[in-house]
Amino acid sequence: MADKTNTIFRALDRKASAITEFTMRQYRTKISTWVVLITGLVIISLLMMFYVDAMQRDFESVDNDGDSVDSDGDSYPDGQERLYGTNPFSALSNPGFFDPPIPPDDPSVWIDEDDFDWNESPTGTRSVSVGYDDDGDCRTDDRTSSQKDTNDNGVECDIELSLTLTGEFRYDADSFVDEDPDDEAYAKEALHRASILGIGKLGFVFIISIFIPLFMATGLIRDEMNSGTMHYMLTKPIARTEVFFYRVIGYLGIVWPYLIILTLISAIVTGFAGPGDSLFRFSEFGIWLAILFAAMMATLVYGMLFCFLGVMWRYGIILAIPFAAWELGMALLSMGVPDAPILRFSVIGWALIIVDSASMIVWPDMALLIYSGFSVEGTDALGFESEELIGSEPLQYFYANPGLGNISPFLSMIIATVVLLIQATALLFLGGAIFKGKEIE
Amino acid sequence: MMPDIHQEGRAETTEWQPEQKAPVILLENVSKTYGKIHALSGVTLALSGGVTGILGLNGAGKSTLFKILMGKLKPSSGQVRLFGTNPWKNPAPYSRVGFVPEGEKMHDWMTAHDFISTFARLNGLTRDEAKVEADRVLDFVGLLDVAHKQIGRFSKGMRQRTKIAHALVSDPELIILDEPLQGCDPLARTTIMNVIRELGRMGRTVIVSSHILTEIERITEQIVILHHGRLLALGNLHAIREKMDNIPHRIDIGCESPKELAKSVIDIGSVHGISFQDPQKLTVQTHNLGDFHSHLPATIIDGGHKVNSIDNPDDDLASILSYLTGGGGP
Amino acid sequence: MSEQLDSTSQTTANDLSYSENVPVTGQGRMDAAWGSKDGDESTTAQVTSNNASVGYVFEQIYKPWNGPLNPRWMRNWAILRHHVLGIFRKGHRPWSLPTKLFIVIVFIASLGDVGLTLLSALIGSPELHTMWGVNRDNLYGHVLGFFPRNMLYYPILAALLVGGVISEDRYHGTSALYFSRPISRFDYVMMKYISVAMIQAFVVLLTLMIYYFVEIIVMGRGWAWIIDTFPLFLAAFVGGIILIVTYTSIGLGLSSVSKGKFFPGIGLVAIVLGTKTLAVLVSNLFERDVMYLLSPYDCLAHVGQALVGTQTTYDQYSWTWSLASLVLMNAFFLYILSSRVASMEVTRE
Repeated sequence: MADKTNTIFRALDRKASAITEFTMRQYRTKISTWVVLITGLVIISLLMMFYVDAMQRDFESVDNDGDSVDSDGDSYPDGQERLYGTNPFSALSNPGFFDPPIPPDDPSVWIDEDDFDWNESPTGTRSVSVGYDDDGDCRTDDRTSSQKDTNDNGVECDIELSLTLTGEFRYDADSFVDEDPDDEAYAKEALHRASILGIGKLGFVFIISIFIPLFMATGLIRDEMNSGTMHYMLTKPIARTEVFFYRVIGYLGIVWPYLIILTLISAIVTGFAGPGDSLFRFSEFGIWLAILFAAMMATLVYGMLFCFLGVMWRYGIILAIPFAAWELGMALLSMGVPDAPILRFSVIGWALIIVDSASMIVWPDMALLIYSGFSVEGTDALGFESEELIGSEPLQYFYANPGLGNISPFLSMIIATVVLLIQATALLFLGGAIFKGKEIE
Repeated sequence: MMPDIHQEGRAETTEWQPEQKAPVILLENVSKTYGKIHALSGVTLALSGGVTGILGLNGAGKSTLFKILMGKLKPSSGQVRLFGTNPWKNPAPYSRVGFVPEGEKMHDWMTAHDFISTFARLNGLTRDEAKVEADRVLDFVGLLDVAHKQIGRFSKGMRQRTKIAHALVSDPELIILDEPLQGCDPLARTTIMNVIRELGRMGRTVIVSSHILTEIERITEQIVILHHGRLLALGNLHAIREKMDNIPHRIDIGCESPKELAKSVIDIGSVHGISFQDPQKLTVQTHNLGDFHSHLPATIIDGGHKVNSIDNPDDDLASILSYLTGGGGP
Repeated sequence: MSEQLDSTSQTTANDLSYSENVPVTGQGRMDAAWGSKDGDESTTAQVTSNNASVGYVFEQIYKPWNGPLNPRWMRNWAILRHHVLGIFRKGHRPWSLPTKLFIVIVFIASLGDVGLTLLSALIGSPELHTMWGVNRDNLYGHVLGFFPRNMLYYPILAALLVGGVISEDRYHGTSALYFSRPISRFDYVMMKYISVAMIQAFVVLLTLMIYYFVEIIVMGRGWAWIIDTFPLFLAAFVGGIILIVTYTSIGLGLSSVSKGKFFPGIGLVAIVLGTKTLAVLVSNLFERDVMYLLSPYDCLAHVGQALVGTQTTYDQYSWTWSLASLVLMNAFFLYILSSRVASMEVTRE
């Protein structure tokens, strides 16, 4: 290895670093680069401001099960009467006649009295038993076992979650379990998660990851081919495929650090401003890492694609713009129908699988959280109308199961990554081959 | 600026050894068409060593020829060999070639030194080697003192010299210059010409294109004339000129007393017409330029005439072309 | 011959390049025999005329042109014609082939509802006709529907058109050709603006008219129907004009600040689709519609809904806010456009 300085790898390395460095310096001198990057920063900051504002908002507590009402006018709320086994519809039957008499609760005690106890979601065909009756109106002693186990799964006062064969989610709760959750806690938790998913998916993986390559990568080689400066690079003993590749690497040298900074800012903001007792939500670094990774993969593939389109045709932009519109459509589609086969023909469909898989890993209780938000909807046993909880709708909109069927989230993340890498490699060789056969005026 | 003639040997080309016998440039029946336009048609040419000028009017196919040589364009038909290999889709021979493209577009935001050292690294030099090399080539073209200024602030002459310096990195055996003198002021032109001559003297193969005959003939005598994509003439400029000597020519002699001079000049046998176009100028028409020029100095000295200038208005590319294409002299 | 060169003329005497270290190239012989020089053989001066001791002052007389100058509108018309006719034939502004192709494609695609109207008239199915025929919602949708018209057709059409309209002139230096003529910069920009808008109108408004008149003809509509629906048609038409004006303002504003062809095009699409996506995101997550005010498309849609009178999808605020936002957007980009063009250096950049 004495002659280390002249091995072919060293020579390759010199060329690679020269072009990469050149490309990055070239970007730095363009105003448009700064305009685009700052615009991206402004967009993410704006979203973060909306997010922080939402986290500071007060959410009205709703009596979802209607048991704070005193139906018989004996000043004991229905929930309290039910807890003690008296008749909530008879003024002559209330805990005040007990010995010793129990004083009536303030009605507000019976609002949001039943918290959520979420910790996991079913995977595969396994059913899980979750939930805990915080207010004790299910576990009360004067109920029979069958009253306590209305869902007949052999466990008293629980919620049974299962996935049906069709992939549908089934939520089957025993009566009076988690029936009146804390609206504010729910809304904040749900909005927090929905924000991370929404901002991550549409903000980072779509808006940032498609428009930045559109602005920065389309002209990566085409601009220089048009202006004639490409000659300086191409009269050097270097293969054009290499030029293509190193130019893209140079572009990534700007875009990836930028994405890392943006993600870090977002992760810090959501970590501190997010709901919860702890000062900082460390556990969510995982989802931000996945968003960052997905955005990096997307910028890689889009960069290769747009650079390739630019090389292929003088008007490559005309193909790139409709493609961006197509990707917007696919992004929106993947929110609703994550397993639509057409998504497999897009880049963003694969990139979003990474985020979805990670959200499944980081938040195993996600499905429960969403469905319990909707479970209070409708008419309860006592005929009270109730709406779904605030936050459950956006969460449901932005959360999606990774659309690769019932496989483990790790596996689908790996598959998506491999597919994206294959796309990038294919585009690299396609772009390189086309560039190689391109006549340069 | 005085170029250093004691160069430190050539760049090593270890990976790839061409056939030593092959000419540096070989074109066989090369044509390039764009639809119905023939940019080049049936050019056959082999060059090795020395400085060669490619002459042709705008659109004669000079740049197309160079781009085909450099593998930028694919010939529609025919064979191209650069150091014995086909340059199309093959960057291997580029390590031995320096190319100065036409056009003014450069990376204006870089300094000349940055520009050259960054691109020198594509020749496989390390960062430090590239810096030394950039200093060397910039010194060669006389730009060392402005090496750290932005190219965007350079004059056209300095830009051309920067481009030449860029092409000289790694000391290539073949240097192709596409219109290196275009748009330069006289001073820059002289400097660039000196550089080119110097390269020729160092034993490099140099190919220069221009549409101005006088520029080329100050650099070299070996010329190739392209016209409408065809190879019109090839060889020594003098030989081409000698052939032209026997066609009618016009010579303007600026002097103080044209009428006096006319009396002496009319005696030269090859003169067949004289006219006075302005008070300080005599226009002589001759059908044998060589003969006229061999007698003219003696005539002037014998007559004691004061001559300010001797000018040949027909001496440009256009008249040579019109002669070579069979249109006859002016 | 070479021995004669010393005695030939004073040209050689002044030429310093005959030192030893210059290779013999035959140059001297050429200089002597052919007078082949252009003044830069050496850095020394060659004085051809000895009596030019004080120098001359050249007197040049410029002859003013006294011919009649065509009126301003006629000159402007020439610019307009140059741009608009470029779409149809050669010899005018060369729009790129893909742009022309895209115009044709969008034009045909915009006629989709016309085709379906014809089809429903042919089949005679009233259900189909209520779906595709002229009514309040469909008139609105023809111009301002998001998918696919304002996602795939009109913003991209505008992007392709504005792409190089001003930036290419700046890049190639052809703006100098305009400004060396008796044309004010305002007129120059105005005509570019109108020509781009006209081409868009050709696609957006002409297809709307075709749609409306085809309905009248194939369904045999009478005066009563026309009186009923004409205000709706007019409202959609006005909405279309606002759409064209807004997209053109944004696009030309961007075109005036950039040199390339890519940036204005992508910029326009990014503004239209990006702000739309952002607004959808914010509205979905945080139930705030305020971001719609930043989205040109949503403002257009809101104003259009108010004009045509369809169900409004933006119910958190009044449509006048959207109108105000549109006015602001137009004013902002027109300001950029005018200030950039006014200060534009007439040079090749």
